[in-house]
Amino acid sequence: MADISNDVLLDVQNITMKFSRYATGVDTLKELVIRAFRKDLKRDKFECLKGISFQVHKGEAVALIGKNGAGKSTLLKIIAGTLTPTSGKTVRYGRITPLLRLGAGFDYNATGVENIYINAALLGYTKKQIKEKEQEIIEFSELGDFINSPLKTYSSGMVSRLGFSIAANMESEILLIDEVLAVGDMAFNKKCYAKLAELCAKGVTFVIVSHNSNVKRYCKRAIWIDEGVVREDGDIGIVFKHYTDFMATKPVEPMSVTKTSMQTANNQPVSQSTLESKPLVVSNPSTEDSNIASNNPKKV
Amino acid sequence: MSTITRSQTIRQRFYTIGLLVRRNVKNQYYGSFIGVVWTVLNPLLNMIVMAFVFTSIFGREGIDLDYPVYVLSGSITFTLMRAGTAGSVNSLVGRADMLLKTRTQLEIFPTATVISSLVTYGFSLIALLLVAGWRALPIFGGPYFTFTWNMLLIIAIIPAILLFTLGISYFLSALYVFFRDVKNLYDVFLTLWFYLTPIFYTIKQLKSATVEKFESFNPMYYYVNGTRECLEGIMVSGKEWLLMYLFGFISLLIGWTFLRLLRNKISVHL
Repeated sequence: MADISNDVLLDVQNITMKFSRYATGVDTLKELVIRAFRKDLKRDKFECLKGISFQVHKGEAVALIGKNGAGKSTLLKIIAGTLTPTSGKTVRYGRITPLLRLGAGFDYNATGVENIYINAALLGYTKKQIKEKEQEIIEFSELGDFINSPLKTYSSGMVSRLGFSIAANMESEILLIDEVLAVGDMAFNKKCYAKLAELCAKGVTFVIVSHNSNVKRYCKRAIWIDEGVVREDGDIGIVFKHYTDFMATKPVEPMSVTKTSMQTANNQPVSQSTLESKPLVVSNPSTEDSNIASNNPKKV
Repeated sequence: MSTITRSQTIRQRFYTIGLLVRRNVKNQYYGSFIGVVWTVLNPLLNMIVMAFVFTSIFGREGIDLDYPVYVLSGSITFTLMRAGTAGSVNSLVGRADMLLKTRTQLEIFPTATVISSLVTYGFSLIALLLVAGWRALPIFGGPYFTFTWNMLLIIAIIPAILLFTLGISYFLSALYVFFRDVKNLYDVFLTLWFYLTPIFYTIKQLKSATVEKFESFNPMYYYVNGTRECLEGIMVSGKEWLLMYLFGFISLLIGWTFLRLLRNKISVHL
């Protein structure tokens, strides 16, 4: 650990994450009081990440792969800084921009331009920085005159286009990308990937969470997370091969699947993703895509 | 990027709060033709109802201040706290999507809501000035009210109310993440609090030592009373100033600490 060279942008040091929540999902005071009287307050504890360490260097594109519930999204949240790990730490040498939930933080009564300012400010940019990029963002989003209309007049594709344009055009050292980017129509989606390639060439670092072999196009390195530990870290071709082999041979056990998927940080109860996409991911990764795409609007 | 200094970070945060406040205020008047006018009109109408109902019931015994001014000043002071805290309850949960994807200072959101309610309070002060001005006219057997320079001291009370409101807002917005019935319970509590604070009556009218003792623990009593003393032209005593700011800082300290301590649990729970 002594020689941390200068080009390390992200240093993940021995992260563990434990969750503890009421077994029955207490979410009102009333329930808490009643259950406290009945002494019915059991807490479930589970360890989602168990000592994860890796370093990401400048200009690298790293894919985090692993089955549902392996802890990838939790890890991503820890890297983004929205979750603090139970132990261990992440050191970030640069600005991290999340390309997740592209419509998050938008105000639908405000115009596109206003939302550019609000969203970028919430991402931590100063007024000056936003002003410099404003024109670029507007041009990239291809929204034309709509940029001066309230967001509620936009289609959902337009909203995510705006979200992508803001995140991708603001200066940043590390981009976090969760699953597949489905932004706007095919033409715009192509443009997004071109933009990402351009950023990649400029030396921006990527951390992409995925279980789709498409990421091979962007990433040279993959980190396979399984059961909360780094199972393999290295060249994406090799790691991905091991991963798909493993997934193909592994029998689907409903019980254990349910249990692990509860380990995701998300509040969502054991969701359809466990039931639907899980068995499909092995044989046909593209089905997974469409699943995510259809889930997306809800998140936006 | 690491060259960003502390002062720049703080400036950036204020800028963000400013944007959010502007948006909140705009949303409040969105699609309403009489928008801003309504903010002035609303406390006026309330005051008229209260003045009409309560003058005959309670009489004006023990109230030195003109009754319409008395009611209005009390209700807008209480409303500042109420609008800020009640509006903040949902400020974190409502932004869950944003909070889950990027590292933001949680305090930004309740703070923006509280400052938005301050803007509304500003408009309500206009209503108060209008009423005071009307009551100061020598008509209908008046003048009932006289302007003094002391009134300006209200400006010094506002920060104390804001601190107090911020504290409650931080506390509630964090608690609401875990318990979704907090909103309903707090609404009931606010109603109770409103009636327990001498908005349209005076404590003296109740002629009860217990109530007086009880009121000395009600922070809103000090804010309401202080505001009225300024209007009456009475100097607010040092003890009162001390208590007003003490309640403010204690509230802020508790709320802020609560939010800080739960920060991580909040992002897990959202």
